[in-house]
Amino acid sequence: MKGDQIPDPDHIARFCKPMQVSEGQIQATAFMLRPDEEYLSVNWLEFLNCPNRDSEITEIRNIYSAKLNVGARAKLAVINVGEVCEKVLTESPDRRNIEVLHDPMEDDLFDPSHSGIYNLKQDDELIAELILETVLETYTARH
Amino acid sequence: MHEIDLYKDPYRFDTRQIYSIVYGDQLIEDDSPSDHPYTGAWDFSQITTPFLPPVRYENTAYANQEESDTSIVDLPENQDTITQANVLKNEEDQVQELIFRIKTSRSIPYRGSLANRLLALYNDAKEEDSDCIGIAPESLRSFNKFLHLHTNIKCPIISLTPEYNIYASWRGKQNRVFSVHFLTNEDVRFVIFKPNDRHPERKIRVSGLATIDIIMETLTPYYIEDWVSE
Repeated sequence: MKGDQIPDPDHIARFCKPMQVSEGQIQATAFMLRPDEEYLSVNWLEFLNCPNRDSEITEIRNIYSAKLNVGARAKLAVINVGEVCEKVLTESPDRRNIEVLHDPMEDDLFDPSHSGIYNLKQDDELIAELILETVLETYTARH
Repeated sequence: MHEIDLYKDPYRFDTRQIYSIVYGDQLIEDDSPSDHPYTGAWDFSQITTPFLPPVRYENTAYANQEESDTSIVDLPENQDTITQANVLKNEEDQVQELIFRIKTSRSIPYRGSLANRLLALYNDAKEEDSDCIGIAPESLRSFNKFLHLHTNIKCPIISLTPEYNIYASWRGKQNRVFSVHFLTNEDVRFVIFKPNDRHPERKIRVSGLATIDIIMETLTPYYIEDWVSE
């Protein structure tokens, strides 16, 4: 349900554009907000109710290919919710309490697992670098 | 004794050569084996004057060209008639010229690979959104200036921020990170992660705002140059 906090043991996937990837490695720029963004868009993997990670990733690729122009070098970053919140809280200079909230899209861009990382700012390079350090797995975003 | 004509180096001043690297909105691939631009992909006889960018080059000595900011944009006197598309095109021209300048700058040891990386980023951004700027010219200009101020710095990992600014990172042993976000007006925001030598279980994390001319001097206490320089 919209606004629900995603449980700490669960995982989220972030779409990383080719311009945020260098030689296959995701860069901190993948976790920076656009000037008009309030939160960082992610997808809640456990919400998809798939039997394993591979099928979750396949489902996420389907979602992105329907919504976005997915470049050949685009990547998916998988992050544990509890780990990223704890890392940013304990290691950011202002002890930032980021929240990962469910934000399903029900309109034309139907995306029920859509979620967001909240309490980020536009000049948060240090927090983007901290989030990058919590990336557990990476996958190509294109099928 | 032969006289050297300082103003007729075809690789530096012929604007048509710039288009041999990057041209308009097309996605291009520079697979030139040398540091000079690949000229085979374009038939210059087909490129007529109206396609040339509105750039004027100052007649200064060849030796001074590399470090100087030589491009002056010739905007029409009545700027009210300039459309948003014209402005975007003009900014794209500036980006293309800056990439060309990096590619031919002898003071950057990795100029060829760096220029190719910038071209790839430009193309990636354009592929995703053909109306976007590709790379923010002011950010790229600052980055170019930074590289010329620190000619012994190692080649960074480059990516683009959501605003198409240059974000350069250097990564070292023990999860050392030094990242610089090149903003407008030669401002930079930086991030440093490094081990805490007195408390090995802890890390030092620093971020801040500076300008490109003093950033390395400002960060001297963090011994950044020890591992980001050759």
